[in-house]
Amino acid sequence: MRTAILALLLAVACTSHAAGGRVFVSNERDDTVSVIDAASNKVIATVPVGKRPRGVGVSPDGSEVYVAISGDNAIAVLDPEKLEVVRTFESGDDPEAFAVHPNGNIYISNEEDAKASVYNPRNGEKIAEIEVGIEPEGVAVSPDGSRVIVTSESTNMLHIIAVPEHEIVANIVVGARPRAATFSADGTIAYATSEISGEVKKVDVATGTILGRMPLADDKAKPKDVLLSRDGKRLFVAGGRANSIFVLDADTLEVLDTIGVGKRVWGLALSRDGKRLYTTDGVDHQVSVIDTESDDVVATVPVGKFPWGVAIDD
Amino acid sequence: MSPSPARPIRRPVHAWLAVLCIVLLAASTASGARETRQVRIGFVGADSSDAMRGASQGIDEANAQGRFLGWQYELVPLADAAAARGAEVAVIVADAAPAALRELAAAAAPSAVINVGATDDALRAACLPNLLHTLPSAAMLADAEAQWRHKHADSPATARAWHESFRKYAAAQLNRRYEARHGKPMSDVAWAAWAAVKLVSNTIATSDEAIPARVHELMRGDIAFDGQKGADMDFRDTGQLRQPLLLVDGETIVGEAPVRGVADPGDLDTLGRGACAK
Repeated sequence: MRTAILALLLAVACTSHAAGGRVFVSNERDDTVSVIDAASNKVIATVPVGKRPRGVGVSPDGSEVYVAISGDNAIAVLDPEKLEVVRTFESGDDPEAFAVHPNGNIYISNEEDAKASVYNPRNGEKIAEIEVGIEPEGVAVSPDGSRVIVTSESTNMLHIIAVPEHEIVANIVVGARPRAATFSADGTIAYATSEISGEVKKVDVATGTILGRMPLADDKAKPKDVLLSRDGKRLFVAGGRANSIFVLDADTLEVLDTIGVGKRVWGLALSRDGKRLYTTDGVDHQVSVIDTESDDVVATVPVGKFPWGVAIDD
Repeated sequence: MSPSPARPIRRPVHAWLAVLCIVLLAASTASGARETRQVRIGFVGADSSDAMRGASQGIDEANAQGRFLGWQYELVPLADAAAARGAEVAVIVADAAPAALRELAAAAAPSAVINVGATDDALRAACLPNLLHTLPSAAMLADAEAQWRHKHADSPATARAWHESFRKYAAAQLNRRYEARHGKPMSDVAWAAWAAVKLVSNTIATSDEAIPARVHELMRGDIAFDGQKGADMDFRDTGQLRQPLLLVDGETIVGEAPVRGVADPGDLDTLGRGACAK
């Protein structure tokens, strides 16, 4: 029975998404989003979205793409088929990073206000506001949606927020200037990057205990985005000025591999099947496409100026 | 007193109470609610000085962090070295002349004193065991200017610890916070005082203890503090905070030191690396 349901879900998933899918990249200095066809690794459209686009996310059903337009204090909503902005809504001051919850709501860090806010992107309504530390940055939602992490950069903390209560249930002190976090598939473990201390920390979400720490050998590393492989065994870390992706063992945090990409790599996104990793290489104005089986860069795609965020609709 | 016959009966009650306490403590920790612990930070300097404003900004931000961890910070003005003796402060932030700083350090031990107002090189070379400096030394400023001149012979620039128009590395956020609260731009001394308090609160947040000697010891370790200047900064053996500097021409930031092309931008010891005088 369970297998039948799974097969049905897979069938629905596979038919409702075009093979290969589309990769959406925000170009911070161009006020555009580049749309890459994942099958050909070619840019098929460049869509004007608003001032200083940064965070990018896709709705759970794949019907909408959200882009934080920091300079307009708003979120732009793109239709991934028509490839145009269909509406925008106000999102509080200077939205940067955000995460899409399985229920469709989005969780945004408002850097200037020391707050995280929750929006319903369908009507633009603000659902909740949570006071967090100074300069909140990275946002992650647990796969089951019961927890959200917001990192506060100047307070060196991960705030664990319970959903739907929208209350902070734990505060975990990590290394200097935490930028991004991600959950394990079962939501019990989180990984966070710290830009200034140049390290990755592994934490137990329920107890707030630090389970491990891995400083990245390259002192220029300044790690930013972080993602787990689909099987949960490997952790991908965008190395910033190290111009590489560090691949860590998710269990031991041992560095397994270093993949050279373009300059100032910040954003990461993984395809649904986990076979392709996309990176935004800011200073080289390109996206690198990595085959996660061989850990080789299989394509570099020129995009707009200073690509920041990346998300896949597949 | 002779042993009480009731003792064997009382012991299980004690054990039971202990278990209850542990359970309650664990529950309160897990839920995030805990007793608020006070941290007193001494301040030596003028009332409405940039140092006071910077330190107050630091206290605000320390409390923004501390409220999540059960720490509350308070700035305690101290008149002089005599007042520092036995003041029960975790650390002292001081904007004072070199001679006064030496006296203060002697009186405050084992608490650390953080100098935020004097650039005096001899004070660094003295390597007093509990004196730290977040304000750059005169030698650091001079080296930064010399590096700049090496590359731009025709353009004089002044080295600064901070500038109101600095935007990179979340400097813009700090400048905005400071100006909104104090109605004036953040000066070098204000930055040094803010940084001093921020260092203390970061150390306490990480170690979860506020014992003065321990705070000092941990601050001297691998603190990875960026001070909104984008670098992994820590203290030299002289007590001086390693840090990048800004080069300012008129009111414009024209460069950062270590100056790329002249020195390794990642090597903060190209700026005024001093040794302890023996």
